[in-house]
Amino acid sequence: MSKPKVAIYWSAACGGCDVKVLDTNEKILEVAAAVDLVLWPIALDFKYKDVEAMADREIDLCIINGGVRNSEQEHIVKLLRRKSKVVAALGACAISGGIPALANLFDAQSILDYVYHKTASIDNPQGAVPQPEYDAPEGKLSIPKFFESVFALDQIIDVQYFIPGCPPPPSLIAKALVAFIQGTLPPPPATVAGDGSVCDECPRERKREAKVKKWKRISQFTPPADTKKCLLDEGFLCLGPVTQAGCEALCPKANMPCEGCMGKAKGVIDKGAKIVSYIASLTDANTEEEAKAILKDVIDQVGLFYRFDLPKSLIKGRRKV
Amino acid sequence: MKRISIDPITRLEGHGKIEIFLDGNGEVANAYFQVPELRGFEKFCQGRPVEELARIVPRI
Repeated sequence: MSKPKVAIYWSAACGGCDVKVLDTNEKILEVAAAVDLVLWPIALDFKYKDVEAMADREIDLCIINGGVRNSEQEHIVKLLRRKSKVVAALGACAISGGIPALANLFDAQSILDYVYHKTASIDNPQGAVPQPEYDAPEGKLSIPKFFESVFALDQIIDVQYFIPGCPPPPSLIAKALVAFIQGTLPPPPATVAGDGSVCDECPRERKREAKVKKWKRISQFTPPADTKKCLLDEGFLCLGPVTQAGCEALCPKANMPCEGCMGKAKGVIDKGAKIVSYIASLTDANTEEEAKAILKDVIDQVGLFYRFDLPKSLIKGRRKV
Repeated sequence: MKRISIDPITRLEGHGKIEIFLDGNGEVANAYFQVPELRGFEKFCQGRPVEELARIVPRI
């Protein structure tokens, strides 16, 4: 019997998800022995034309990381969807846009203007900007069209499985791959992660009666001497309560408030709205003036609350005018 | 003019393609390296608190 075929592809991503696939360590050897890898740009030399030559649904599992930022990524993910039986979104960018989707706070033109004309390190005396098509003396060259905004993978194609995190914990990747090989993946659509929120996995203890007298920036952080103290109780904006479990509270364990990379916990409709709600209930203020003083250092709300999920949030991004 | 496309470039971090043009003798007449990717960290890091950049830019 032939081995199942697996493809791994990256769109608008940093490569961190691919590195975490490798960080499954010896598990990757078991996976490599059990499946035929047919595309994996970071590690293997397959070309897009190899994918185009495959029959529809020939790939058994296609794992895609990265959001969709340009026309080439849209084309390749649609091609891979057609060629694959099962598609899994790996990591925050594929699931909900991720950090590159903070670009949705700006229009495409202002990004191109800044990157190619205004950054301190740019050296572009001709004022050249990338063109989708260029007539070189030898023939026509083309590059993808830069989209107006970043899309999550399931805003472009159907996705059956979601493996969250930025980057996803290797333990979850291994769990998903082993379940695929053994044929024990849950019925789709399904998220391969932990149960509940990051707080459920966090060893720190929240005092129910604690109220915050001053919300602090992470630059004002001195690790509490007692590492059992909840970071929220200490006035640090930890996103643990609204964030999907599965990372084993890696950041709070290392004295860093959760920034929400695992995505929305089950039951959360809009992360930012939920965060505003718990900030309000924890803030120890009796008057508006008091509240303003306590909240003074809660800055860049959009950049923190929606750091990994702008395309999937209620606000989506900038307001189009 | 014969054209060889290497798309994508593999086994590195990032996206790239190479177009090579060969002349009548099969010699390389010209080659173009293209980066079909931009995310715009330069722009969307603006407005973020400086201490948060340590948590944002590792994802470049």
